Amino acid sequence: MLGHFIKGLTTAIPVMAVVAIIVFLLLFLAPGDPAAIMAGENATADTIAQLRVALGVDQPIHLRFWNWLSPILHGDLGNSIYWRQSVVSLIGQRAGPTISLAVTTLFVSVCTAVTLGVIAAARVNSRLDRAIMGFAVIAFSVPTFVVGYLLMFVFAVRLGYLPVQGYKPISAGFWPWLSHLILPSLTLGTVYVALIARITRASMLEVLSEDYIRTARAKGVPRRSILFRHALKNAAVPIATIVGNGIAILISGVVITETVFNVPGIGRLVVDAIARRDYPIIQGVTLLFAGVYVCINLLVDISYRLFDPRIRY
Amino acid sequence: MTLSRRGFLCRSAAAGALLSMPLKAFAQSGEMGMLRVAVYTDMVGYDPIVTTSNIAAYHGALVYDMLFGNDENQMPHPQMVGDYTISEDKLTWTMTLRDGLTFSDGSPVTTADVIPSILRWQARASQNGKLLAAATQELVALDDRTFQFKLKEPFPLLAAMLGSPATPLCFIMRKREAEMDPAQAVDVCIGSGPYVLNTQETRPGIDYVYDRNPNYVPREEPASGLSGAKIANFERVILVNMPDAQTAIAALQAGEIDFYEIPPIDFLPVLESDSNLKVADIMKSGTEGSIILNWLQPPFDNLKVRQAMLYAIDQEAVLKGLFGDPNWFNAHPSWFTYGSPLYNEANSEWFRIAPDPEKAKQLLAEGGYDGTPVVLLQATDRQVNADAVTIIAQQMRAAGFNVQIDAIDWATLLQRRPNKGPVSEGGWNAFVSTFNGFISSNPYTFGHMATIGENGWFGWPSDERNEELKAAWMKAETPEERVAIAAEIQENAWNIVPRVSYGHWVQPVAYRSNLDGFVSIPGVLAFWNVKRV
Repeated sequence: MLGHFIKGLTTAIPVMAVVAIIVFLLLFLAPGDPAAIMAGENATADTIAQLRVALGVDQPIHLRFWNWLSPILHGDLGNSIYWRQSVVSLIGQRAGPTISLAVTTLFVSVCTAVTLGVIAAARVNSRLDRAIMGFAVIAFSVPTFVVGYLLMFVFAVRLGYLPVQGYKPISAGFWPWLSHLILPSLTLGTVYVALIARITRASMLEVLSEDYIRTARAKGVPRRSILFRHALKNAAVPIATIVGNGIAILISGVVITETVFNVPGIGRLVVDAIARRDYPIIQGVTLLFAGVYVCINLLVDISYRLFDPRIRY
Repeated sequence: MTLSRRGFLCRSAAAGALLSMPLKAFAQSGEMGMLRVAVYTDMVGYDPIVTTSNIAAYHGALVYDMLFGNDENQMPHPQMVGDYTISEDKLTWTMTLRDGLTFSDGSPVTTADVIPSILRWQARASQNGKLLAAATQELVALDDRTFQFKLKEPFPLLAAMLGSPATPLCFIMRKREAEMDPAQAVDVCIGSGPYVLNTQETRPGIDYVYDRNPNYVPREEPASGLSGAKIANFERVILVNMPDAQTAIAALQAGEIDFYEIPPIDFLPVLESDSNLKVADIMKSGTEGSIILNWLQPPFDNLKVRQAMLYAIDQEAVLKGLFGDPNWFNAHPSWFTYGSPLYNEANSEWFRIAPDPEKAKQLLAEGGYDGTPVVLLQATDRQVNADAVTIIAQQMRAAGFNVQIDAIDWATLLQRRPNKGPVSEGGWNAFVSTFNGFISSNPYTFGHMATIGENGWFGWPSDERNEELKAAWMKAETPEERVAIAAEIQENAWNIVPRVSYGHWVQPVAYRSNLDGFVSIPGVLAFWNVKRV
């Protein structure tokens, strides 16, 4: 397994290199000028031209690529055009809220979705099954920002139970930390719950029709034990796969959710950077997200053996 | 698992108590010593000289001070300057700094700081600073506290320009920062204003924390605009970057923030109906909508085609489409900002007739317009801009223009507008812009009013008569003379049509009703003197 992990990491290096080159070229081809944005709407063309030189965005593509790539090879993602602060430190400042949001969303979503999927499969074609699947279809279809605004209006503005926006670190207390994460996590988790619940149900239905499940029932094994000990474990591989693939949905959802709830995380950082063409930040965060995605899928690969010992690498 | 009735009641009560517990915690307003302000756009660095953006001016007004400050009527008053004298020939202005001026690092403010600050500002200012630089023979320090402007010719507006709220404002920095290349943003933020940027607690892109400057000694005169006493009533002011209007409004209603900079007009009825909130026009300058025409490329290089635009645009319809409620907008025929001292209605017969598509078509025919597509740039990520372009394009089509909208984002528009070439080479024919009402209220702050061809602002209009009139306006000694010349400027402007207006509107702010003491500065939000009542 360790060998497989190391091999996976080695394969990730060329993947990341390709991602880096594509991101750089896309940003280079994309229109927009950070000097014009920094100078402001009323600035003259001369002023903008001076700023372009000062910011180094007037250089040819090969020089800009090398200026960006050479520090990366030493683990440095460069400096923000606007803040002159290292991208690594800016990401570090924003990592806490995003990690908190992602972990709470992942935890709540997976627990809820797997439970709903198992219940729907156990009571297939019942009203409960239809209700759960109906919820899944709606949850998958409604845009994230709509869910966010609805939750914000009801629970924050109308009822005043939870804060509208912002983030408190856990050092400020458990409840302040959690209270600022509940609405964003529910918003972000809605699509994720729908996705995992549907896959769980489909996977469970397939397993529940197997001979060994019928045998277990014939032997009088309790229903709960059949569902959670026998069936769920064997249905786990597709669920783990979709949890891993769903990280991409989570990452794109983080960008929207952090904007709606004004959570100062990495999603907000990259949205602001895109609007202002702060290239080093966009490139740094994209590389980070790509790296996270590759690592999580590697971990999902490894987890297959835990669910199914027959799998060999 | 079975649940007894008693158990059910106990658990229900506990759950209810738990849910109601945080109710108060989130419904409270900000702390007494702290003012939380939601701003729509993020800062583009800490240097208020290197950029013309308004948010940089908010930041600068908290951290830095100015030599002069213009009051609400745009009359200049000494601010950092204690006394000043003007020689009899009006060619020498001698200024002495007032007592007690220190930067937040404890160092005294001297002429060694002031002179490079003025020079750096002049290098960046769009029009006013450059005019002053051109009129100045020499700027010299007589001692640590006294300095002199020696002029080539009398310049009556000198103090008004140093105290002007037009961005960038003439903020005074330390010598170290002031001597930096004007194209390079300063890397530290130390001023002599009423607040100090707390760099430890500030999180760039998220929120900007300002603490009261213990070294600041306010003037004793009552506050008015940028002049008079700047009292830091709050120990801390936080500018929170909140780009989503829906979120900001919800946070204001819930009391999580105290002040919101730009509530969308369609949300105002909701805010006005909330007794905990106030909606007010604090800046009192409004915004002027303008259609910028490219004078260097067909068809707007043709006078008749530009004149056709005057008859094509129905300001009332555009403004109604954008804002709905007529209380917040005004259609008007002036080259100068609606309601400003220089506002006049000279040479505005076209306004009484417009919209008149038939007249516009006639002018297009006289100008030989052959139906070549007119490329109108549309910044889709700026709501007012995007909506205005949609309406204006339709009005232009009705008047006979063949309009092609190029939908791009704002950053791309900013990059594209310096292109002077034809459309086939990435150029453009027209774009829609908005100007702070103050900077379009007089010729000296309004670089866009320049008609100096390719050396001027985008659109590059060229007209010597306009430049002569502006120069005469600059030398006028009295407000009456200036008003008379302004009418001549406008008379000439609507003959040559440098650009086309689509009206004036007011952008109110929204804040918790327990706040009071806001000062009115066109285009700049300042939070000194604000207090919780």
